[in-house]
This record gives sequence, structure tokens and C-alpha cells, in this order.
Amino acid sequence: MKPSHAGLIWTLVRTDFKARYHGTIEGFVWALLKPLAMFVVLMSVFSFLFPDPTYKLNLIIGLFLWDFFAEGTKTGLTALQAKGFLLTKARCPSWILVVTSISNALITLAVFVGIISAFLLATHHPPSLEAVALFLAYCGALVTVVVGFSLATSVLFLRYRDLNQVWDVVSQAGFFLAPIIFPLGIIPERYHFYFYLWPPTPIIEFSRAVLVHGTMPTRTAHAYLAVDAAVILLAGTVIFRGLAPRAAEYV
Amino acid sequence: MAAPLISVDGVSKAFRIPSVHRDTVREHVFGLFEPRRFERLQVLDRISLELHQGETLGIMGRNGSGKSTLLKIICGIYQPDTGRVTVRAAVTPILELGVGWNPELDAIDNVFLIGSVMGLSLAEIRRSMDEILAFAELERFANLKLKHYSSGMSSRLAYAVAFRAVREVLVLDEVFAVGDAGFRQRCEERYRALRAEGCSVVVVSHDPRLIDTFCDRAILLDGGRIARQGQSSAIADDYLGLLTHSLNDTRQSTQV
Repeated sequence: MKPSHAGLIWTLVRTDFKARYHGTIEGFVWALLKPLAMFVVLMSVFSFLFPDPTYKLNLIIGLFLWDFFAEGTKTGLTALQAKGFLLTKARCPSWILVVTSISNALITLAVFVGIISAFLLATHHPPSLEAVALFLAYCGALVTVVVGFSLATSVLFLRYRDLNQVWDVVSQAGFFLAPIIFPLGIIPERYHFYFYLWPPTPIIEFSRAVLVHGTMPTRTAHAYLAVDAAVILLAGTVIFRGLAPRAAEYV
Repeated sequence: MAAPLISVDGVSKAFRIPSVHRDTVREHVFGLFEPRRFERLQVLDRISLELHQGETLGIMGRNGSGKSTLLKIICGIYQPDTGRVTVRAAVTPILELGVGWNPELDAIDNVFLIGSVMGLSLAEIRRSMDEILAFAELERFANLKLKHYSSGMSSRLAYAVAFRAVREVLVLDEVFAVGDAGFRQRCEERYRALRAEGCSVVVVSHDPRLIDTFCDRAILLDGGRIARQGQSSAIADDYLGLLTHSLNDTRQSTQV
């Protein structure tokens, strides 16, 4: 990375934040309120259905991780189109435009990680240092998945202009496919494999395991997640490298 | 002689124009069994040129002769189909004026964005912000979002940033086509100063007077090929000849 890229990255992150939240902290609070409001609504409805005492904690972890996934993929997909004015203006490293586009979602996720850590420390069962480290690693895997997805879809979106609508539908279905409002336990064990194919599922389930239940996913489970994230990033990079050189022609 | 700053070697570029334009998944799926015809539009055909240190190269040609595509390839925005472009210097383009801003951000943030894309460091941008805004006569509108700007205002801002960002090679599409006489004069002054500092320039223009005044050497593009190259004054005359010639042609054909 050239030194001048650092200035570009910082400017993109700063102006994205400013344009999205009108440059105010109050604006940013709205970003946190969205999953929180969802939490309140879902909790008041579903905690009757699932009387498990850890349901609330599971729900909020699932919602915030999902919110990052949904926001990140949505903005990542349209990143090159939205920043097309920079692509046609000068020779611009287009991968930076894609990677920085998820910065707003990443900031929200980071704030959530802080809040959830503080909350868990304040409760009776503070998580071990190892659990927090693992949780951060899972967040890292989630970011990797979102970056890989964004790299691939941002260049494809320039060629297929309804890809965002297709993804909206998939993403909406995906919210119910991931075990966010329901515990995965209500699904017969033999179908779990299929649920784990949807990338947010292992990340949400593993995070809950270490933070809420104090259990540790197996090594095989960790290996699966690592391979999953690596494959998505690799596929995204390959597609991006193939199509990005001509991106400016499609903006 | 030192290696040229920019060498374009046998560059060709064609665009495929489909008979029916499909740019959604839906259209591709529903059109799966309806084959499309593609028309090949050869925009550039084996173009070779060189730009040396301190040189000013003018490019002329009629609409659709491939001038803008050539500039975009030189700047690395488009990729050539065949041929090579070797760039040994920092190239600062001013293309497609009036577009290319984030309308939701004010002038200062947009200058930061475009400036850092053009290779300025944040410290350099901060230092020269006042100068850039003064050059564009936009000090009073520094905190106004670009969506409220007129096209003239945003074009002036584009020039101001690029003139500040240029280091070695400046690439201009339709130079000095914006602003009033005062702004144009400031542009010309800045341009002369850059030339005096040893900057190289590539200029595309339809204005023979401008090419004649500002360029040492020029090329005339016609149908994606270099029809003529040489002294800028001679090329400017050739360009006018090309225009009148084709005008005569059309006149004759309408008579027949």
C-alpha cells in the first residue's frame, strides 16, 4: 500500500460517516437504535415463546451481528456504483472504495462489541479473556465474509443493475434462515448442517457459545469457519481482479 | 534523450454495442434464449505516441474520433484491448467536468476526496485549501453541499483541485472551457506557470487557436487512427480542413 492510500482511506471513512450521519453523534445513535428497536420488539413477542433465560442475550448478539452483515453487504454491493465518480475521475485504487464502504457498519459493530463486553462484565458471569478473544476472531471472520462478498458483488453490480434488489430478497430470507429470533435447538439436529452453510449462522452460534453459554466450539467447527471465510474472500478477490480493471467503463 | 514520460504503443480499443442493452439479472434470465447481435465499435486503432519531459501535446479530432477514450487510457482509467501504455510519471487528469462530486458533501470534503484520489496528501490538501477555494472563487460557498452548486461552480472547483494536484503530467479534456474571462485567464496563467516548472501536458480541444497557442506538437485523430501529426499550427489547419472537407462532402451528398 502506498502512503498516499492512507490519506484516501481516512478521507473515505470520514466522509462516509459524515454523509451518512450528517456528521453528528446523534446521527450515529440512530444506527445503534435500529437493531435495539428490533431487539425490544422481538424480545417482547418471542420471550413468551422461548422462555429460556438466556434468550434475550442470544437475541441481541444475533441481531447486532446480523445488522453488521446486512448493512455491510448492502453498502459493499453498491460501493463502486456509489463511488463511481471517483473511478471515472482519476486512476483510483478501486479495492479501497469497496473495503472502506463497510466502515460505517464496522463502527457500529465495534461500538456493540464494547457495549456487550461491558454488559457481560457487569453481569454475574463475566466471560473469560479467551472467550472475548474468540468472539473478536468470529467478528473478524464476519468482516472477512462481508469484504469477500462486497468485492465480488460490487463489480458484478455494475453489470447487473438489479443485483441489489435480488440481494435484498435473499438477505430478508437470510434473516430468518439464521438462528436469530429462534434457537437453533428447535430445528432437528440432522438439518443443522444446512443451516451452517449460511455464513452468518456459525458466527452467531459460536459467539453465543463462548459469550453466553461458556462452551467452546470444537476445532473442526473453527476450521470450518476459517475455511468458509477464506473461500469467500478468495472467490471475491478473484472475481474482483477479473472485472475491476474494466469497472470504469460500466459506471 | 531520456525515456518518454508516457509511451503509448499500438493501443487499440473497441466497444461492443449490443443490439439490445441488458444490464439486469432479470433481462439476462428472460433473454436467455434470445440471442443478441453485437456491433463492434472500433474507437482506437493501433495508436502510438510518446510524451517527453516538458512537452505539450495537443489532440484534435471530430466528435467520436476517440480523443476522450485515448485520454482515459493514458490516465489508466480504461484498459486498452491490445497494445501497451507505459507511464513513468504522475498523471493528473481533468476529465468530464461538472460531474464527479459527492453531492451530499460540502466543497471542503469533496476537495479532500478528489485531492486524495489525485495523489495529494492530507497535509498538502489542508495547506492549500484556501488557495484552491480562492482559485475557484468559492470561498463563500466552502461549506455548501455540492448538490446546491451550479455546474459552473463545480467545474471551477475541479480545475482548482487538479491545477493544485498536478506534479509531472497534466491531462486536460476541453481545457479552459469553463468560467468567465477572469477565471479563464487565471487558468491560463497557472498553465503557463506549470509549463515554466517543466510540467508536461496533454490537451484535447476542438479549438484550433487554443491548440496552436498552447501546444508544441499535436496529433489529429480520425476514425480512431492518427491521421496526421506534427507542428501544432499545421495540425490546427488540418483539423479545420478536415471539418470543411467533410462539410463539403455532406453538402455534395445532399445535393445528389
